[in-house]
Amino acid sequence: MEKKWDFETLLIHGGLEPGPAGATTVPIVQSSAFAYDSADALEDVFRGRRPGQVYTRIGNPTTESLEKRLTLLEDGIAGIVTASGMAAISTAVLTILRSGDEILSSSSVFGGTFSLFRDTLSSYGIGVRFVDPTDLKAVREGVGERTRLLFVETIGNPKMDVPDIAALAEIAREAKIPLMLDATVTTPWMARGKDLGADLVVHSTSKFINGSGSAIGGAIIDLGRFDWGGEKYPHFAPFVKKFGRFAFTARARKLVHKDLGACAAPMNSFLLAEGIETLALRMERHCSSALRLASFLREHPKVRWVNYPGLPDSPFQDIASRQFGGRYGALLTFGLPDKEAAFRFINALRLARNLANIGDAKTLVIHPASTICCDYTPEEKALMGVTEELVRVSVGIEAPGDIVGDFAQALEQV
Amino acid sequence: MTLTVNGKPAAIDGKVELNVTELLSVLKVEQPDYVTVELNGEILERDNFPATVVRDGDAVEFLYFMGGGR
Ligand SMILES: Cc1ncc(COP(=O)(O)O)c(C=O)c1O
Repeated sequence: MEKKWDFETLLIHGGLEPGPAGATTVPIVQSSAFAYDSADALEDVFRGRRPGQVYTRIGNPTTESLEKRLTLLEDGIAGIVTASGMAAISTAVLTILRSGDEILSSSSVFGGTFSLFRDTLSSYGIGVRFVDPTDLKAVREGVGERTRLLFVETIGNPKMDVPDIAALAEIAREAKIPLMLDATVTTPWMARGKDLGADLVVHSTSKFINGSGSAIGGAIIDLGRFDWGGEKYPHFAPFVKKFGRFAFTARARKLVHKDLGACAAPMNSFLLAEGIETLALRMERHCSSALRLASFLREHPKVRWVNYPGLPDSPFQDIASRQFGGRYGALLTFGLPDKEAAFRFINALRLARNLANIGDAKTLVIHPASTICCDYTPEEKALMGVTEELVRVSVGIEAPGDIVGDFAQALEQV
Repeated sequence: MTLTVNGKPAAIDGKVELNVTELLSVLKVEQPDYVTVELNGEILERDNFPATVVRDGDAVEFLYFMGGGR
């Protein structure tokens, strides 16, 4: 019944059950463990004969409510909410890959993901091959014998490149490997991974889902399309046999998520769920203000270039228009003459905050080369699209004129 | 009819058979969208729930991967 509502209504009512005493928000169940009246009842839950919560690392009512809501928004079959976006990516990837396997990843991924794939996972025998996700030939050629996952961001952060996700899904399907999308910057409001042909979606809910920079969180949504019974995934066989199309989520829940322990705090699940209600309204404003700011910067004599997929001269405007229904997101990057100019600009801002985050109601800026990407070599930075003169902006939902005004006065001082 | 549900006898009055979709509803099985159903030791495909019939004496197990686990 709920699935027939429009997306905006689903955001507010989808998956929500009435709370105690008619409460309209989700109760924060701040309890580590859950008691049962009989030993038999607890045995039944442990053996999986009946659903129930036993321990908050494994499951919690507040977190489960958020899992259901996000799953509904993505039109998936099951979801897992985690402590952070990185926890979601780590858990999802480790559910799929074993030592000796390889990830085929977009090279323009968020720095934390780049480091997870290149440094952390490689010390456990999981390899990675980075490719330009907009070069379909390179992606096709990047699929090797040991490739078990194709990973890509819907819009590369901070490269701002937009891959053709349906075409990538086709490559993954041919290779009989799943396509995992990091849809943090687009959210299900701009596009649903399922409609684009993806198999799994991960989010850092810390960003636009939360919307006010008040909690860190992540989510993995299983879209239920991938056949885990294939010969490349023998470790899924017992889960396919027992849980059918839920094999991925079952393996994640019964092993990796439970064992790594990157569970969400109930309070954070509450805060993240609060953000869902206003997602559509906020995203509309984020997108319209970002386009306005991008157009202003595009014309400004001190600005060398602007990267925003909504600009008519962006090489990604076409694909972004088709894929995201004429919406281009809140993120943009632009170039000043050099690093010193970028620093002068940031120091002169009065409204926009200089910090390492995106997706807040507040307008945020950062100089990625000296901060989130400071540990990378110039070659690696180039791969991620990060240069010394680049400033990244996450356009907030303040009065659009005030945002543009702040940038105008700061540019005066460059 | 009387079934064995999760190892215990369960009497369903006034029915001689039910398909699995009906059974989930009659037994008020929690979270029916997520449950795995085993009939006489065989895991059933979800798509086959409506066409699979349960009769007196059958053993049915409901399995969840959700809250439980170790
Ligand atoms: C695209 C993207 N994916 C993943 C992450 C990681 O999320 P978190 O900080 O919640 O771990 C971030 C930001 O930090 C991000 O921007």
